[in-house]
Parts: sequence; structure tokens; C-alpha cells
Amino acid sequence: MKKIMMLWFSTFFCCGLFAQTYPLNGIVTDDFHRPLAGINLKLNNTNYFALSDSLGRFAFQLSNGRYEVQVNAIGYYAARNQVVVDGKAVQLVLKLAPYSHLLNEVTIKSKAGDDHRKEESLNVELVKADFIQRNLGGSLMNTLQRLPGIKTIGIGSGQSKPLIRGLGFNRVVVVDKGIKHEGQQWGADHGLEIDQFAAEEVELIKGAASFVYGADAIGGAINIKAPTLPAPNSFGADVNLIGKTNNGLYGTSVRLFQRKKKLFFDSRFTYQNYGDYHVPADTLYVYDFAVALHKNYLRNTAGRETGIHFNSGYVSEKFKTVFHLSNSYSKSGFFANAHGLEPRRVDADLHDASARDILMPYQQVNHFKLINRSSWIAKHHQLELELGYQHNFRQEYNHYVNHGYMPPVYPASINIPIDLEREFDKQVYAFHAKDQMALGKHVLQVGINGELQDNVINGWSFLVPAFKQKALGAYAYDKFRLNDRLLLHGAIRYDVAQLNLFSYTDWFFSETASGSVERLVRADNLSRNFNSFVWSVGVNYNQDLFEFKANVGKSFRIPIAKELGANGVNYHYFSYEKGNRTLNPEQSYQADFSIALNSGNWTAKLSPFFNYFPNYIYLNPSAVHDYFYGAGNQVFEYAESEVNRYGGEVQVKYQLSPQLTAEVLAEYLYAEQLSGDKKGYTLPFSSPASALFNVTYAPEKLWGSSAAYFSLDYRITSVQNHIVPPERKTAGYSLFNFQAGTQIRMGSHPLNISAQLQNIFNTRYLNHTSFYRLIGLPEQGRNLVLSLKMPFNFNHQ
Amino acid sequence: MKTKQLCIALLAVTAAFSACKKDSEEIDTVYPTIDLTGTGFPQQCSMIKRGEKFIFKAKLSDNVELGSVSIDVHHNFDHHNHSTEVNDCGLSAVKQALKPFLLIKDFPIPIGQKTYEIAREVSVPADVDAGDYHFLIRLTDKTGWQTLKGISIKIN
Repeated sequence: MKKIMMLWFSTFFCCGLFAQTYPLNGIVTDDFHRPLAGINLKLNNTNYFALSDSLGRFAFQLSNGRYEVQVNAIGYYAARNQVVVDGKAVQLVLKLAPYSHLLNEVTIKSKAGDDHRKEESLNVELVKADFIQRNLGGSLMNTLQRLPGIKTIGIGSGQSKPLIRGLGFNRVVVVDKGIKHEGQQWGADHGLEIDQFAAEEVELIKGAASFVYGADAIGGAINIKAPTLPAPNSFGADVNLIGKTNNGLYGTSVRLFQRKKKLFFDSRFTYQNYGDYHVPADTLYVYDFAVALHKNYLRNTAGRETGIHFNSGYVSEKFKTVFHLSNSYSKSGFFANAHGLEPRRVDADLHDASARDILMPYQQVNHFKLINRSSWIAKHHQLELELGYQHNFRQEYNHYVNHGYMPPVYPASINIPIDLEREFDKQVYAFHAKDQMALGKHVLQVGINGELQDNVINGWSFLVPAFKQKALGAYAYDKFRLNDRLLLHGAIRYDVAQLNLFSYTDWFFSETASGSVERLVRADNLSRNFNSFVWSVGVNYNQDLFEFKANVGKSFRIPIAKELGANGVNYHYFSYEKGNRTLNPEQSYQADFSIALNSGNWTAKLSPFFNYFPNYIYLNPSAVHDYFYGAGNQVFEYAESEVNRYGGEVQVKYQLSPQLTAEVLAEYLYAEQLSGDKKGYTLPFSSPASALFNVTYAPEKLWGSSAAYFSLDYRITSVQNHIVPPERKTAGYSLFNFQAGTQIRMGSHPLNISAQLQNIFNTRYLNHTSFYRLIGLPEQGRNLVLSLKMPFNFNHQ
Repeated sequence: MKTKQLCIALLAVTAAFSACKKDSEEIDTVYPTIDLTGTGFPQQCSMIKRGEKFIFKAKLSDNVELGSVSIDVHHNFDHHNHSTEVNDCGLSAVKQALKPFLLIKDFPIPIGQKTYEIAREVSVPADVDAGDYHFLIRLTDKTGWQTLKGISIKIN
């Protein structure tokens, strides 16, 4: 039986390459796993029917989309279930409950995710919309950090950026609908402009993924997939409502979609409004300066977010083209009593009058995106083309403060707005073309990606010069299926890039050593060319109960404009940040392994990794102060050092009973600099070891629903004593989170309810990788999150 | 039994990885200190006269080796405050700066010092604005750890 299944899988895999449709295969059984023959299966809203054969098997051949399988069989309860076809074979096990038994609804188990994992030598995790709904955090990255090996660098309650196994910023690529998301990745205080309600499926790649995603994917990639197409002849909507107690968040996300046969549209609007967040403390100490918190609120951490998405396109058997238009906007305050590390006196009465207003300092970001994705199927080829335009516009507002030699009174003659501290305006044009060919036992992928960036700056504070960037890369990736158990992978990639930095002169005069005054030239024009060759080899070995994968590869990253051209004071850190014009592209060698056991009630997975950088680029705090360019601040200079990193994740899951599961997710990370000024030290933002223990109870039937769950998370995070200037040691802590949810019926509509109680005991703790860690700001206290989701179907059956 | 072998292999890999964690030689994670008590000057709420000189005096120390020290004197007429001290010395009313006193200076510390008593003469011109000022001291050690001390002073 298993062999037949295996054979089936390999057949489907090949088929998938030649046609736009994918098999939905399954087996119908009774309670005792006995196959049921002659069962009638229907796909609602379509003309598709199937009848199970003598072994209980059935099959559909479907194009991408969302379907509802309905089963009607005499002597058994009727049941319906949702299934999503998305470019892969889907396998179902349908267990029917006889009338005489307790009601036991059909369970559908999709193995598409498992198959994908078994055919990928990189360490991949797939997360679906239901995971996001259950674990909804302040931002998408915040939600994903429940997964082992994923952490975030956060600021406030609504912004965070990903850290994969301790690497973040420009070492992690975020891909949105096939195109690399380009914001201001370098800043610890900059979040990621992604609407988590629009993310249906997110793929996380831990470890170097350079050969597909291009330079920068040294630490890994987060691939936010394009939403699955609505099913043919469907017309419906989704309404989400969200509320959070800690920061008084309320929000909604509404989706409306329709598809005829070949034309469709899918739209979404998201709005969130939140106030200042609460911490379990009434007084904080920014340095020694005591800051009294009004009713435990962190002053001025409120925010607003909107997201608008519109997808539309044409889908046929052999050709598909889809346009994705989106705009995400956010405005959020910085903690008022400190701007970065700088303690500030504030008008407490003004700030405390309302917990929802956003006063100075604050940031405002708008990210616009237009993407077109097309694919053609031609005989042995599957061609894909993605074209994208992005515009990221970030502004940071603050009262004018005359730092260093800036004039005490802001001159009226300057045409930079008096409150505009920094502005970054980025426009990106990108394309990605690839062809996937099936050649016997080989599946060969070749592709090219290119990107054109134009960056302009504004504001009275200078950190990074304006720049233009051009990059072009080509890759080839072969997947060779040696036999049913063994898959080999090999990939190569070549990149060329050009970076042009533009000169910048201060708008104010500084005092020179001789006592005269002059406008300082902080950046000169600079043009650098880079090229790089990277490779990767991998293997998958899959047995019935055992999976092994290994991947070794080289990856690289070109230095960013800030690393080459920074030359200004970052008053967020009291640091004079100095770029290094001669930096080389960063190189990295990484080996990843994964061993998974799957025996009956147990599943266990161990994923260690080892990573070596001959030249890791980092901002090195030196012992000297700079009087001239740095206005007396400590010099932080970009430098290169040899770095060793290793660590891994462990996941163990045990099914105690059909309703009860226990799970442990643990992670460990170690990094050490082997050369340079900070030899023996770790890297900045090294997340401490942590373990998450979970117990989930999912009753078969509760209040008429089979979708109820109760889940308790207990996370222990160890102390972090491995630090590097300017970090501080962070104490360990433990947290409890509780999640519960169910599905109820409101008339003919199902209503999904999810609730979470985060930080149950209102524990005061510091997050080592938070932007506000250095001034000792505690993380959010107790938070109750409530989220409702109601789908509507306007097509009458 | 195959599963058993696999379990052993799994354990071995775990053991190998945890064994990698060697204790590296002692690294410095201690911040340097700025001590203004006793004869130190200026202290929180100190008064400085225009047209006169004063001696900036502080005891600097570090567990390994001191780096450099820098001072920054600037006005606080707008009450922006980055004092690291608790009491605020009774600020005068907010006012517009005309010719505020501004001094930014860094002082290297002789190599190899664990403690250093700095004493530097600073002169305040007679024609600068009187009022509330900040006296910010930044001290680094050899490794790059930096300690800040922000003091509120009055110039009159």
C-alpha cells in the first residue's frame, strides 16, 4: 500500500510540471481505517464528482484554488471540508463516522506541506493562515517567532523585523509574491511593511538560500506566497475583527473576491488602530533618570496601520497572469521619554491626556507595491515571470534638537521641515524570470533576477547618503531524483552589482580644530562594483519513518550603502557611525542538517547548523571619540571579522491521545568572532537559548464544533551573558501564553473565534533583541487578543 | 532495530554539538565608571560663572583599560533634557537661545591606565547666554564599552 502511495506521489510530482492542474487524491475509510468503496464525493460550486474505488481511493484533477469537498454516503454522517490546491499534489484521508457512533466528522489531512519539506534540502517550515490566526502577534514577524529559530528585533507593540538563527537586517530576505520586499532593512527601529492578514501561506527557510533569492539571503528567507486563487465560479468575502486589551487595539480586515472561469479579482482592506502599550512597571530608569509611567503606559507608543490589496488576473489551463497591487501605511510613535538611548524630558500632562494620540517623536511609513506574475506551461517547460515596482517612503519626525554644532535656533532659510529628522525615499524596479524543465529524473530550474534601486534622503539629521544600486544575477538549480528515497540537489549562481553613493554636505557649520568654521562634507561620490559566485549542494533521504536532509553552500551579500557610506551621529545610540568604503562583499559558508523521526505517536526533529564567515561586516564600537565629524561621540566603525556560528533547533511532538498533544520546541545559538577588534565576543543581537513547552487539547466535539482547541505555551528563555558592546546582559525569564478557539455556526455562516491570553502572569521581562533593550524598557504585559473570522459565500448552491 | 540506531545517532549529534561549546577566555563585559563625588567638578546643579575658568575634574576607572573621554556642554533652554541624574535643579523658564555656550571636546587618556584622574581647564566666554546647561561626559574603555553621565548645570 505504501509503495503504491509512493508511486502515486512521484507520478503526481511529474504531472504537476506538465499541466496547470494538480491531483487531489485521497482515500475514504471508516472509523477502523477500512476502505469504503462507492462513496460519492462532490466538490461544491463545481461540476466535479468522484466515486471511491474498491480500495476506497478517489482522485480529482484541479487547478489552483480553494475547494470544498462534500461527502454524502448512506449510513454515514454527511460532511464538508475545505481544501486548498496550490501548485502541488494534495492528499486526503477521509474518515467517515457511521450514524451509530458518536459523531466523528471527516478529517482531511493535507500532506502537501510534508511532501514539499521532503523534497527540499534546505530547512523549510510552512505556516498557514490558521497558524497566524491562532498566534496573532503585533506584526507578522511577531506571530512567526513562536517557531524555533525565528526571533525578532522589535520596537513597540506593532513593529518588528525577522531574525533567523541570530541573523537579521540585510541578511534575511523577505519575498512577497515572488519579489524581494525592499524597505529600510538596516534600522533596528524599522519594522517590516507587511500586512499579516493578507498572508495566507508563509514559507520560512532557515539557512542560506542565496541561490534562489539572491544575495542577502545569507541568514535565510521568509517567502510570503501569493494568495491562492479563488475557486472557479466563486463569489465571496471574509470578515476579520481583531481586538487586543494591552494596547487597546481594534482592527478589521475585509476580503472580497470573485472568480468566473478565467477572470478573477481578490481584494482586501485592513485597518488597525492601537494605543500606548502597558508594561508591568510604574517607574523605569533610563540611565539613572527615573521615568514615572502614567498607569503603566509607555508614553507615545500608539499607532495606526492600513493595508489595501487588490489582485486581479486571467487564469487558463496553460497561461496565467496576475496583478498584485498593495499599499501599506503606518504611523507610530517612539517612546517619548527616550529617543533611542537619549533620555528626554517630556510634557507628561500633554502625553498622558490620551493613550491613543501620536505625538513627537514618531515615524510614518508608506509602502506601495505593484507586482505582475505570469506563468506559461509548454510541454516540458514551466515558465514564470515576475515584474515588480515598489516605493518605500519613510519619515521620522522629531522636535528639532541642536545636537553637536547644529545652530541653537533652526534657521528659517533651510527648506527641510523643522520637524523632519530623517526621510528615506526608495524606489525599486525588479524582475525575476525562471524556467523549470522536467528532464527525465532531473528537474532543472534556471532563472535570472535583476533590480534597480533609487534612494533619496532628506531631514536635518544625516546618517546614510543617497544612492543608486543595480544588481543582476543568474542561477541554475538541478534536482535529481536518484530513486524513491534519494534526492540530490545542486545549484550555482553568479551576481554582478553596482552601487553608487552620492555626496552629502552638512547644512550647518562645524568648528574645526583651528577654530574656523566650515560645512562638513560627510559623503563623497563613491562607485563600487561587485561580483560573486555562489554554490550549494544538498541531499534528501526519506524512509517511511525517517527523513534526513543536508545542505552545504556558500552565500554572499554586497555591503549596503550604510556600511560603505555612513558618516554621521546616530543620536539613538550616542554613536558616530562611520562607514568603510573599502568593504568586500560578505561571504558565508553554511552547513545545515535535519534528522526527523516519525513513529506512530512520536515525531522528533533535530536541525543543527554550522556557519562560517571569513568576513562578517558589523558596526564595531571603538575606544575613541570623534571631535570633528562625530561631535564628540564614540566612534562606531564598520569592520570585518572572521566569525563562527553554530546552533540548532529541536522539535518533539507526542500524541498522548487523539485529543491531547504535547510538544517541545527548543533553540540554541552560539556565535563567536575569531578575529578583529572584538575577537572572542559574540555578534550583536544573539538571541538567548529558549524552549517552548506546549500542551494542546482538541476535543472531538465541543458545543457542536469539531474545530475547538485549547493550547498552553510555556516558554523559558535563558539568560544572555554573551554580549558585545554596546549590549547589556539580559536576565532569563519564563512566560505563559494560552490560546483557545472554536468554530460556531451563525445561521448558515461558520464563525471562527480565536482567543489568546499572552503573558498570563504579567511578567516583567526584557527582550535581549528589542530596540529598547539598551534603556531597559520591559516588554508588553498581559494581553488578551480576540479575533473573529467569518467567511461569506454569495454564490447560492 | 533501526529506530534504535537512529535514536543513538540523533543523541550523538546532539552531544557533539553541545560539546562544541567551549568556554572562551575571559572577555571584558564591564562598563567604565565616572566618579564625580568628592573633588569632582562640575557636579549635578553646579554653578559656573561667565567669563571665568573652571577645572573639569573626574575620577575615571575601568577594570581593564580606559579608552577616551569626551565632554559636551550645551544649553537646555528648551528643557529637552538628557540628564542621567535624578533631580533637575529647578529649571528656569523656557527661553530662546541667542548665543548659547557650546563646547565639544575629547581628551585622549594615556595608554594602559585602569584609573585616571582627569583635570582640564575650561573657560566660559563672558558674552554667552546665562541659564540651564547640560554637561555630558562620555567615557569609553579599550573594548568600546561607553558610560554616559549627563549633568545639569547653571551658567550665570
